[in-house]
Amino acid sequence: MTAPAAIEVRDLHVVYDGLAAVRGLSFTVPAGGRMGLVGESGSGKSMTALALMGLLPPGWKAQGTILHDGVDLITQTDKALSARRGRTVSMVFQDPMSSLNPVRRVGDQIADVIRRHGGVGRHEAMGQTIDLMMQMNLPRPEQLARSYPHQISGGQKQRIMIAMALACYPQLIIADEPTTALDVTVQKQVLRLLSAATRERNSALLMITHDLPVIAAMCDTVAVMYAGRIVEYGPVRQVFRNPRHHYTRGLLDSQPTMDNIALDGSSRLTSIPGMVPPLPALPSGCAFHPRCPVATDICRARMPEIDAATGAACWHPVAASQPAVAS
Amino acid sequence: MPIYIARKLAFFILAVIAASIAIFLLIRGAGGNVAAVVLGKDATAEAINALAQQYGLDRPMVVQYFDWIGKLLQGDLGRSFRTNESVADLVVSRLSISIPLCVSGLVLGLLIAIPAGTYSALYSDRPLGALVALLSQVGIAVPVFWAGILLSLLFGVRLGWLPTGGWTNWDANFWGAVRSLVLPVISLGLILGASLTRYVRSAVLDVMNQDYVRTARATGMTQMQALLQVGLRNAALPIATVVGLQIAELIGGTVIIETVFSLPGLSRMILANVAAREVIVVQSTVMLIIIFVMLINLIVDLLYGVLDPRVRLAR
Amino acid sequence: MTSLATAPAPAPARATRRRRRRNLTLTIGIVITAAFITIALASFLYLPHNPNIPRIPDRLLPAGSPGYLLGTDALGRDIFSQLMVGARTSLLVGAGAALISLLVGTVAGLSAAAFGRLTDETISRGADIMLSIPGMVTALVLAATIGSGALTTILALSAFFTPSFTRVIRSAALSVTQEDFVIAARLYGRPTWFILLRHVLPNVAGVMIVQFTLYFAAGILTEAGLSYLGVGVTRPSISWGMMLNEAQQQVGISSPLAMWPGLAIVIVVLGLNLLGDGLRDVLDPKLARRSS
Repeated sequence: MTAPAAIEVRDLHVVYDGLAAVRGLSFTVPAGGRMGLVGESGSGKSMTALALMGLLPPGWKAQGTILHDGVDLITQTDKALSARRGRTVSMVFQDPMSSLNPVRRVGDQIADVIRRHGGVGRHEAMGQTIDLMMQMNLPRPEQLARSYPHQISGGQKQRIMIAMALACYPQLIIADEPTTALDVTVQKQVLRLLSAATRERNSALLMITHDLPVIAAMCDTVAVMYAGRIVEYGPVRQVFRNPRHHYTRGLLDSQPTMDNIALDGSSRLTSIPGMVPPLPALPSGCAFHPRCPVATDICRARMPEIDAATGAACWHPVAASQPAVAS
Repeated sequence: MPIYIARKLAFFILAVIAASIAIFLLIRGAGGNVAAVVLGKDATAEAINALAQQYGLDRPMVVQYFDWIGKLLQGDLGRSFRTNESVADLVVSRLSISIPLCVSGLVLGLLIAIPAGTYSALYSDRPLGALVALLSQVGIAVPVFWAGILLSLLFGVRLGWLPTGGWTNWDANFWGAVRSLVLPVISLGLILGASLTRYVRSAVLDVMNQDYVRTARATGMTQMQALLQVGLRNAALPIATVVGLQIAELIGGTVIIETVFSLPGLSRMILANVAAREVIVVQSTVMLIIIFVMLINLIVDLLYGVLDPRVRLAR
Repeated sequence: MTSLATAPAPAPARATRRRRRRNLTLTIGIVITAAFITIALASFLYLPHNPNIPRIPDRLLPAGSPGYLLGTDALGRDIFSQLMVGARTSLLVGAGAALISLLVGTVAGLSAAAFGRLTDETISRGADIMLSIPGMVTALVLAATIGSGALTTILALSAFFTPSFTRVIRSAALSVTQEDFVIAARLYGRPTWFILLRHVLPNVAGVMIVQFTLYFAAGILTEAGLSYLGVGVTRPSISWGMMLNEAQQQVGISSPLAMWPGLAIVIVVLGLNLLGDGLRDVLDPKLARRSS
C-alpha cells in the first residue's frame, strides 16, 4: 500500500465541558477503501463523522489527530477546512428532506459546489451539473435541475445530495445513515448508486450505519463502536463471521435473518439486555460490562484496548472457534 | 402563484369591507345622535335637524353607509361639520409628515434589528451578544413616548443639536423639516428595532440550526457565507411575516410620537377631531389608516409569495 | 436534527449555567411583579397624600423634601402617591385587558382548532382582519364615541389583544389535537367538548399563562400611551402615561417629573416580560428552545 490513506484517525476524542462522546478512536481508511462504522444511537458514530468534517455542534471540541491529504484537520482553521469540505472530503447526511436549501433550485445547489471549488463559470458548472445528475440516474436532468426541493421525491433528493458530495471527486465521502429516511424500495437503489459512484471516482467511503447487512454488502473493513470507543475492528468478513467482542456478537444475534425467524413463530430473536449508557453516567472499565454476559471484576476495573490478535477490545474475547449466527 | 395572489387580493377586499362596516357601526352606532353631539348641549332642535339634513344624517344607516363607501371609493372623504373643509384636503398635507415618519421608522427599525438580531443569535456566548439581547429586552419595555422624551431631553435640551418639537413645511424649509423628523424617527426606530431584534434573533437561530445550513457548510461555505447566502435568505420568510404584524403597532407608535414632538401629522388631526366629535373626519381618516395597514400587509404577503418557492409554485 | 439527534444531551456545566440564568430571569420577574402588585394594592389602604388635591404652596418640591418622598408636581400634588394610584390603574387595565382577551381568545382559539375547517377559517380570517386594525386607532374611535376612561381602555385593548391571543391558542391547541392520546380519545368516542376540557385545555394552560403575562405587560404599555394622548384614563383616576403628559405640558420635559412615571413603566413592564419569559422556560419547553 503506497498510496497515502484517505483518512487516518489517531486517538480522537470529542468532548464537551468534560463530557466525552468519543473517547480515543483510531482507525484508517485507505485511499479508495470502504469502511463501515456501526453502533447503536448514542455510540458516538455521528459525532465522529462531524468531527472529521470539522462541523461539531457549538461547544464540542475534537482532540487527537485526523490526518487527511497530508494535513492534520484538527489543527486547521475553519477557513482552511471550508476550502476542503466538499472538495477533498464531503458528507452525505441522513435526512435528504431537510438537508437541501428549500429556496434554491436543486441544480443551482449542485452547481454552487462545483463553482465554489472548481473555479469554473456559471455555464460550465451547469453543464457539469447536468452530467452529474445523469450519472445519478436522475430522470430528465435539465428539467429536474430547475426544480425546488419540495417538488421532487425523497430518493431524488438523496441523489442530489450524493451528486453534491461527489461533484469535486473527493478523496473521502462520509455517509451518515444515508438511507434510513428513505422508503425501503428506494434504499437499495441509492446504496447501489453510492457504491458505484464512489468506486468510479476512487473515493474512499466511510459508511456510518446501524444496519449490519448494508456494511456487509458495501464495506471492506468495519469498526464497531460502543460508548464512544471502537470495541472491535477488522475485515468485514472476519468480524461478521467470527465476532470476538460480546457486543458485536450480540448485535449480530439480534439481526433478524431468514434463518433465525422460523415461520411458526417458535424461534426467538435474541437482544442485548440493557441500554446504551448515557454520557454523564459511563460505567467504569469496559463500558459494556453491565450488559455483558461474561463480565468479571477486571472488566469493571480496567478499560481494555484493541488486541492485535483478536481485533476486539475485550478482556474475555469470544473464542475463535465459536461462530456467530451467519450474517 | 396566480391563485395565491387572487386569494390574498380577495382577502384584502373582504378585510377592507369588514373593517369599514365595523368602523361605521362603532362610530355611528355607539355615538348616538351625531348632529346633537356635534352641536353640543345648547343647540336648538331646528339647528340639529338642519345639520342632520345637510349631511344626510337623517337617512337610514344602511343608506348612509353605502353613501359613505361610494364616495370613499371616488376619493371623496366627506367634509368637516364645523369648517366644511374637505377631509381629503386636510389629510393630504398631514400625510407629508406621517408617511415619511412611519416609513423611516420602519426602515430604521429593520436596519437596527437585522444586524443586531443576527449578531446576538450567532454570538450569544460573547459579551456583546448578551448585551444586545439585554438591550432589546429593556427596549421592549420602554414606551415609545418616553423614549421620545428622553431623546429630546438629551439632543434637544442638553446638546441643542435638534429641535424638540414643531414643524416647518417641506417646501418652506426642507432641511428644517428633515431636522424636525430626526428625533421622532429615531425614537420610533429604536423601540420598533428592540422588539424586531428578538424576532430576527429567533428566526436566525432557528434557520441556522436547520439541516440545510449544515449541508451548506459541508459543501464548503464558511459560517459567514452560510449565514449570508443561505441563512438570511431563509430567515427572511418569518421576518417578513412579523414585520407585517408589526405595522399596526408602528401606526400606534407614530400616533404617539407625533404628539410628543408636536408634529401636525395625521394622528394629531384625528386626536383633535375626536375631541371635537367630528365624526365624519374621524371615520374617514381612520378608514384610510386601516386601508394603509392592510395594503402593507397585502404587499408583505405577496413578497412572501415571491420569496418562498413553496408558495410561488403552488397551484 | 438528524445526525445531531444522536448527540448526547447538553453537558452538566453548560446546562447548569443556562438553568441558573433562567432562574435569575424568573426571580427578577417575580420580585418586580410582586412589588408592583403589592404597591398597587397598598394604595387602597394607605396613601401619603391625596394625589388629586392641589397644594399650591408645596408646588414643584424636589425629591426627598420632607413629607414628599419623590417631590410634588406643578400643582403641589405628591408624586409618590400619584405613582401608587397609577400602579393601581396599570394593574386594573393591564390585567383586565389580558384577562378578557385570555377568556375570549381561548374560547375562540379552541373552537377554531376543534370544530372543523369552516369554523377555523372564519375565526382565523376574522382574527387576521382585526389584527390589521391598529389598537391605537380602535382606542381613539372608542374614546370618540363612548368617551374615555378605564373601562373604555380595557375594552379597546381587549379588542386589540384578542385576535393574536386567539392565534396563539389555536396553534398550540392544533398541535395538541394531533397528539396520539387525543386521537385515541376521539377514536374512543369521547365528545369534542370533553376532549377539549380534559386533554387540550390542560396542555395549552402553560401557553395561556405565559401569554397572559406578556399581554399584561403590553396592556400597561398601551394604556400608558393612550393616557399620554389623553384618550385613556382621566382624573380622578391616575395613570403613569397621564402623569408624563402633564409633566411635559406643565413644566417641560427637563423636569424630573418626566422621569419617575417613565421609570415606573419600564421597570414594571420589564418585570412582567421577564416573568413571562421565565415561565415560558418552565412551562413550555418547546417554545423556549425556539426563542432562547
